[in-house]
Amino acid sequence: MADTIDLIDHLLSDLKKVGGVEACAAASRDGLLIRAIMQKEQISESFAAMSATMLGAAETATTELGKGIPNRIVVEAEHGRLIVVGAGPKALLIVLIDPSIGLGLILLELEKAAEKLKELLT
Amino acid sequence: MIETGVPKLDEFLAGGIPKGKSLIYYIQPGVEGEVFGMQTVYNSLKSGGTCVFVASSTIPEIIKTQFKEFGWDIGPYQKKLFFVDAYNPLIGVPSNEKYVVQNPDRIDEFNKTILNILKELPPSTIVFGSLSTVMDLCGEKETIDAVRNWNKMAMLYDHIMVYNFTAWPYSQETLDTIRKDLFNAVISIGGIAERVIFGQYFGISKSDWTNETKKSMLFRVLRPGGIRLFIPKILVTGPFDAGKSTFVHALSSRAISVDRLGTTIALDHGHIDYKGFSADIFGTPGQERFDPIIKLLSGESMGVFLIVDSTNPTDFVRAKHMLEITKSYGLPYVVIANKQDLSGALTPAEIRKQFNLPDDVPIVPAVAKDKIGIFEAFEVLLDKITGGI
Repeated sequence: MADTIDLIDHLLSDLKKVGGVEACAAASRDGLLIRAIMQKEQISESFAAMSATMLGAAETATTELGKGIPNRIVVEAEHGRLIVVGAGPKALLIVLIDPSIGLGLILLELEKAAEKLKELLT
Repeated sequence: MIETGVPKLDEFLAGGIPKGKSLIYYIQPGVEGEVFGMQTVYNSLKSGGTCVFVASSTIPEIIKTQFKEFGWDIGPYQKKLFFVDAYNPLIGVPSNEKYVVQNPDRIDEFNKTILNILKELPPSTIVFGSLSTVMDLCGEKETIDAVRNWNKMAMLYDHIMVYNFTAWPYSQETLDTIRKDLFNAVISIGGIAERVIFGQYFGISKSDWTNETKKSMLFRVLRPGGIRLFIPKILVTGPFDAGKSTFVHALSSRAISVDRLGTTIALDHGHIDYKGFSADIFGTPGQERFDPIIKLLSGESMGVFLIVDSTNPTDFVRAKHMLEITKSYGLPYVVIANKQDLSGALTPAEIRKQFNLPDDVPIVPAVAKDKIGIFEAFEVLLDKITGGI
């Protein structure tokens, strides 16, 4: 048990080191926070719940239209970007990034991390 | 009798730990269990008791800092709290404490100090910060024999013995003796990784002064705050315009909502700290077009509030349907008869009849916008949740 938590912490702290990543978190598909690295710790639970809702709503919308499951959702705001990706059937991964940074490297690292998280939880 | 200070645990133990008894917190490696012994010390001090803390895994100064981190001010209790320093001598540093174990790798030195305390002090609570470290230094069998003797002496002199013990891979015989034989009560503390909730739980695996065994509770450790019982998810659901969001906001110490044109479209999320409990609350939308999201977010709930508008009996069918789509049947649930302040509001008894609800489902009358009835409802649901596991 403790080992899995340690591994998830490790995975998140690696992700946090990628240039431009301001905060990141792992949550369950139904909106419960697993772990987060972010400054405002007290809001990390609602951050997880809202991100799971967005991803869930997006998946429902696109699958209803017969367009398949979305790879990720990207939310663009004035002072930051929020990206949510699914990590297997149980979990999802969220990053908050600086809006001036290009997405390329971050998306790549995010996919890798999501794949790892999926493995950790099976 | 002293209280452990751990919410619900005292209730499970029929009030706390009686004089002359011994209790062990049996902790799975990797779980934050040491706080249990500390919370018991602080609580006992607060109610006027004398306490001894045996520091064997680190220096007393660090333990004092840890008390501070939990927000427990031990300053006023200087004359009531004694530390046994069984660490500084190990690293060759002189100790400032009144009681010192000169050679912490020898059980007879421990014996000398502990027996001295047992005879000298008035009836006290004696807490071992880490019995496993003592065992590592002095040997398994030697430690068990010594503990057996201390517990006997404690019974004679009306002391209460409390031990933190981390269950490292000792010999099976040692672990069995500790779990079954050596103490009056054993509280197991462990972790779960079921599905994806990473939680920690405690439960009574033995207690010879009550019959309450096998009850267990999830908890988390807050700094400051100490042990809080933890309920990862409580669902708030019900038909359109029943007052779900109002209820979530009224109950929570902080909450956020995603709403447009006055109705929730994604979810309400709130967090509550109340009477030693900490819970996250998820409120669903009520309109049928959001049903797919409701299904998605309602997993892993531990209890449900079903909110109904008492003035609108035609909605009761939809309310029942919502229990189905949230898969709430089988979970503890409480019906909130909201909007009791409006004229034409049905009484809980009338609602029970119209709704055809079984007698064991509580119906709590409430006015969510004025915070009337909501904390009562929370307590009723907590009782249902904690009684059920």
